[in-house]
Amino acid sequence: MDPVIQLKNVSYRYPVGDEQVLKNVSLDIGRGKLVTIVGNNSAGKTTLCNLIRGFIPHFYKGDLEGSVLVDGEEIADAQLGQLAEKIGYVFQNPFIQISGVKETVFDEVAFGLENLGVPVDDIRRRVEDVLQLVKIDNLRNKNPFELSGGQRQRVALASIIVMDPDILVIDEPSSQLDPVGTEQVFDIIRLMKERGKTIVLVEHKMDLIAEYADELIVLADGEVKLHGPVREVFADPSYMALGIQYPHAAALALDLQEKGMELPFLPIRDEEVAECLARARRKEGRP
Amino acid sequence: MATNAIRALHPMTKFTFALFVTAAVIAVPSYLFAYAMFAALLVIAAAAGVLREFFAFVLKTLVVLLIIVFLMQLLFYPGDDIIGGWWVFTLTQEGLAYGLLLTSRILAIGSAFILFFRITEVKDFVKALENMGLPPAGAYVVLSTLQIIPEMRRQSNVIMDAQKTRGVETEGSVLVRAKAFLPTLTPLILSAIASTEERAITLESRAFSAPVNKTSLHTLERRPIDTGLIALFTIGAVALIVWRVAVWIL
Amino acid sequence: MNKTATRKRSFQQDFSLLALLLIPIGVAINFVGFQLAQVLRLPIFLDVIGTILVGVIAGPWVGLLTGLITNSITAIFNPVYFPYVVVSMAIGVAAGLLSKAGLLRTLPKAILSGLVITAVAVVISAPITVIFFGGATGNTSSAITATFLATGQTIWQAVFSSTIITEIADKVISVLIVFFIVRSISDRYLSKMKYGEQYMKRNRRK
Repeated sequence: MDPVIQLKNVSYRYPVGDEQVLKNVSLDIGRGKLVTIVGNNSAGKTTLCNLIRGFIPHFYKGDLEGSVLVDGEEIADAQLGQLAEKIGYVFQNPFIQISGVKETVFDEVAFGLENLGVPVDDIRRRVEDVLQLVKIDNLRNKNPFELSGGQRQRVALASIIVMDPDILVIDEPSSQLDPVGTEQVFDIIRLMKERGKTIVLVEHKMDLIAEYADELIVLADGEVKLHGPVREVFADPSYMALGIQYPHAAALALDLQEKGMELPFLPIRDEEVAECLARARRKEGRP
Repeated sequence: MATNAIRALHPMTKFTFALFVTAAVIAVPSYLFAYAMFAALLVIAAAAGVLREFFAFVLKTLVVLLIIVFLMQLLFYPGDDIIGGWWVFTLTQEGLAYGLLLTSRILAIGSAFILFFRITEVKDFVKALENMGLPPAGAYVVLSTLQIIPEMRRQSNVIMDAQKTRGVETEGSVLVRAKAFLPTLTPLILSAIASTEERAITLESRAFSAPVNKTSLHTLERRPIDTGLIALFTIGAVALIVWRVAVWIL
Repeated sequence: MNKTATRKRSFQQDFSLLALLLIPIGVAINFVGFQLAQVLRLPIFLDVIGTILVGVIAGPWVGLLTGLITNSITAIFNPVYFPYVVVSMAIGVAAGLLSKAGLLRTLPKAILSGLVITAVAVVISAPITVIFFGGATGNTSSAITATFLATGQTIWQAVFSSTIITEIADKVISVLIVFFIVRSISDRYLSKMKYGEQYMKRNRRK
């Protein structure tokens, strides 16, 4: 594996907090992987995102131990604004994620490139491309303040993608969106994965994780409890004890297992359920 | 929109003109001159196609003030040359003259800037200041303020309505009404302050503090006519001031 | 323990970004405060609460900028009162210095701070009123000034007296409002502001 993000024995405590939010976290994230972080409230998911993007320690102070390396570089030594080119960051609240000074979606998406000093002609071309890619070209002349939550979240994603970072850190992008908005956001995430971006995603909609993610990191009380390929983590017996949801398919299958049915494998996507049941029947010797 | 020749001028050209008017009416101690300046502003406003709006602003913001200023000079300005009396007051020539001069100056200067803001987009003016050395962060703060004010006004109305339905009195004695002030303002302030952290993260995610020279899609055109007019207004203002100081000293 | 941790990782530039983002909010609070006072028909202006608040938690320079931008934006709609920008800036600076000196930590001290800010406002605004507007203002204080003038006071005496009368309640109440609002701001936020630490609940309890 070619780790693009590496955490080594990282512990962190916020300035006004009494307890460590992350405790001795070590993990590697491979290039081009879509890695999802799950965990209950205050498990440390957002803190982990802030750490990877460098907002800890550059923006949030507090006590930080251990090291965070991105592309082999110590994040604490990087410049916060410059990191935008390397690591994109999108979070849950679609209403605050606008510059607050631009009057059209086009200008809004261009804001990051202006800050990076990209020549104007390049900016126009890149913004055009991204508006097409993210399918928000129809919004180009709208005022960002007048958009719906789902539209704003897509504009926020576009505003980050336009800077073409290799890594995307996306913290619960759909938690304030309706199903249509969620789907549109995940379309964009899938597209970014196809383009080879490394994606770190916090999400609690397990069906979406089962469908899109390569790896799953389970956090609890600031510690990494499980980390591995999605299918393996869901199938791990210790996952159940952590009190986190399963995908629908897996939950259903586990119920059946509890009722005495032997499962040939744990289905995690809806379309795997039929296959699983068919194989289970064959095993039991029925037609 | 910028098809109008006056409005199409560079913001700094228009701003220099407002400063020129200011310098001129202070340098020339004549109320007739200053009132003539106001007449000239009316003509310019008409030529720029903003006469109605300009006049409405002047009426709304200046007239009451000018009347009060004039009456106070007329009634109370110390002087010996008595020209009349009214009730307990004595009216003096000095008071009349000072009242006319002061009001004419306030009118001319006030109107010059009222006109400036009627024919200049604030966004363009801020951009012009940025070109002249205002740090980009400063420009950001000004533009963001312009967007936040209406947003917070709207929110305060929402909170106020919510307080009313919860039984907070907004009618009655001063004390009763005053009690509605804090419950409306406090939540507004706290939520606005709480949002700054996420806004800061948003800005940094967009490379706001990247240590490079920013570029901008929004640029201002500065034509030869702008350079010419700015030179003209500057020379005019300086000449008038020099003349005034010379007259004063000699 | 906490304080050393905060200082250890203190990066000036990040402090200033949060402080910068506080400025538009301070300006908007000034506008909303004024609007609310009008809607509730209160006899005072309450239009510098934001400037004072910003000065108190983010320091005199940020307070000064808040005052400057408030009056600059007012000027877009009504430029004639722009000369008073100096007053707003001075109030922001004064609020910052008073906070630095710990004069907003208790209620009695806050009242004292209110009086100091009144004094600053009067000393700076009265000369502007006399020189630029011949003693007049666009509001009721003109009537008070006129009354003093009618009793034979000079223009300077009259304007100073009427300014004190109109400013004192406004500024003292504004400072008290800020005093109460600062106490309800979260520790998390205060910990990131230049003068915020002294107002944190965990520090107040000690």
